[in-house]
Amino acid sequence: MIQLSGLSKTFGTQQVLKEIDLTVDKGEVVVILGPSGSGKTTMLRCINYLERPDAGEVRIGHLAVQGKHPSRRDIHQLRQRTAMVFQQYNLFKHRTALENVMEGLTVVQRIPRSEAREISARMLEKVGLGSKLDHYPGQLSGGQQQRVGIARALALNPEVILFDEPTSALDPELVGEVLEVIRRIAREGITMIVVTHEMGFARDVANRVVFMDGGIIVEEGQPEEIFQRPREERTRQFLQRIMPEPNYSI
Amino acid sequence: MNLDPSFIWTAGLSLLQALPETLWITFVSVAAGLVIGTAVALCRMYHIPVLSQLSAGYVAFVRGTPMLMHLLLIYFGLPVLIDGISSAMGWSFTSASIPLIGFVWIAFSITAGAYMSEVVRAGIQAVDKGQVEAAQSIGMTTIQTLRRIILPQALSVSLPNLSNSVIGMLHGSTLAYTISVVEINARAQIVAADNWKYFEAYIAAAILFWVLTILIEWISGWLEYRLNAYQRGGAL
Ligand SMILES: Nc1ncnc2c1ncn2[C@@H]1O[C@H](COP(=O)(O)OP(=O)(O)OP(=O)(O)O)[C@@H](O)[C@H]1O
Ligand SMILES: [Mg+2]
Repeated sequence: MIQLSGLSKTFGTQQVLKEIDLTVDKGEVVVILGPSGSGKTTMLRCINYLERPDAGEVRIGHLAVQGKHPSRRDIHQLRQRTAMVFQQYNLFKHRTALENVMEGLTVVQRIPRSEAREISARMLEKVGLGSKLDHYPGQLSGGQQQRVGIARALALNPEVILFDEPTSALDPELVGEVLEVIRRIAREGITMIVVTHEMGFARDVANRVVFMDGGIIVEEGQPEEIFQRPREERTRQFLQRIMPEPNYSI
Repeated sequence: MNLDPSFIWTAGLSLLQALPETLWITFVSVAAGLVIGTAVALCRMYHIPVLSQLSAGYVAFVRGTPMLMHLLLIYFGLPVLIDGISSAMGWSFTSASIPLIGFVWIAFSITAGAYMSEVVRAGIQAVDKGQVEAAQSIGMTTIQTLRRIILPQALSVSLPNLSNSVIGMLHGSTLAYTISVVEINARAQIVAADNWKYFEAYIAAAILFWVLTILIEWISGWLEYRLNAYQRGGAL
């Protein structure tokens, strides 16, 4: 279980996160929606302390990490229990697909190379890249690179995978293959927090949808609730802007 | 003026005796310079208190003064320092037991360190921040990230500039003759004076340096090809 409580973050004079509380159960897929600048990325980055919150707590299982100055060890623990998939893939450019996935296993988890290689090959197989193990990122399409990114996250067997707009940098024709992979692993019961603008995907895959605006969680609920009967005006406006066609449900 | 072409060959053979000195000076200053330069670049980039200010001062001073001054300052200053400390501590060690080439190594390592820190810094800045965050997000420590992700890419990006630094240090090694270290240039002077054939001796020295430079460029080109395999799209 992941629990954020009172998470706050200010950049300069702009308060980007205002005492966010969020609980994600094991196996749950939570999709975060919200307009640009609402703090979605910042919240995700606070969960693994790529960004340090000014106040609040991040709890994963029994590990509770607090505020602006947690111990190095706590941060390290937190990062070992989480994994992130980035908008820009962020693959290690001097490593092959296989080496990208192996890196965390051998260096962080200290799994023997042969075993790490086996796990990594299996993960790449799973995301449909079994034939690209020895390709460098520069030799892969955006969609393939992102799937390596997903395999790299999966291989670590984290308690939660954080996705920050995993398909936003992709050419439209490559979005489908990546969403399909995420859909598939979602069904396996892996806990995920996904920031995305792909509404169809959110509707399909999310157990819960969270709508953020101005650094707060405006409302959250089942996808049907949020998409069909949003309670808050701000949510309604946002959905109207992003899905202009009216939603005829007879 | 009559040129004696056969003496160019004779002088060249004699210069080869001094080749090891030149190569040692270049090798040591480049190797130590790379270590110093990397450390300095990291201190500055991570804004390590005190060290980053010291590093910035060091780089500014060394780049602001000629390489010959570094050699002379070390040659005349270091013995004073060493002998002072040695006698204060009651040690029997004196600076007289340091071989001349030792002063050259120290001075030119200091020179190379400053120049190479800039090269390494540019290389590190060329590695995108996203990869660093990805490394952190999978739980790698700062040191692991540096060693496994940042530095390998920074070095391969910097190779062309590093090879320029190596060539710079090779050519700069000729200054060692000022403190009587007999490297290729000093050797050429000796051969020239002994035979009153200055032009021929220096032609031979120039050819030798040119050949060495071509070799360095060749090695660096090969290394670049090997290390940058990942940057070439297409075939593996
Ligand atoms: N490192 C930073 N320094 C200063 N301001 C920042 C920084 N990171 C984010 N911000 C600001 O914080 C606000 C929230 O940014 P964030 O990236 O979390 O939004 P987002 O919801 O992910 O938006 P988008 O949909 O555009 O990705 C923005 O106004 C942004 O300009
Ligand atoms: Mg964002």
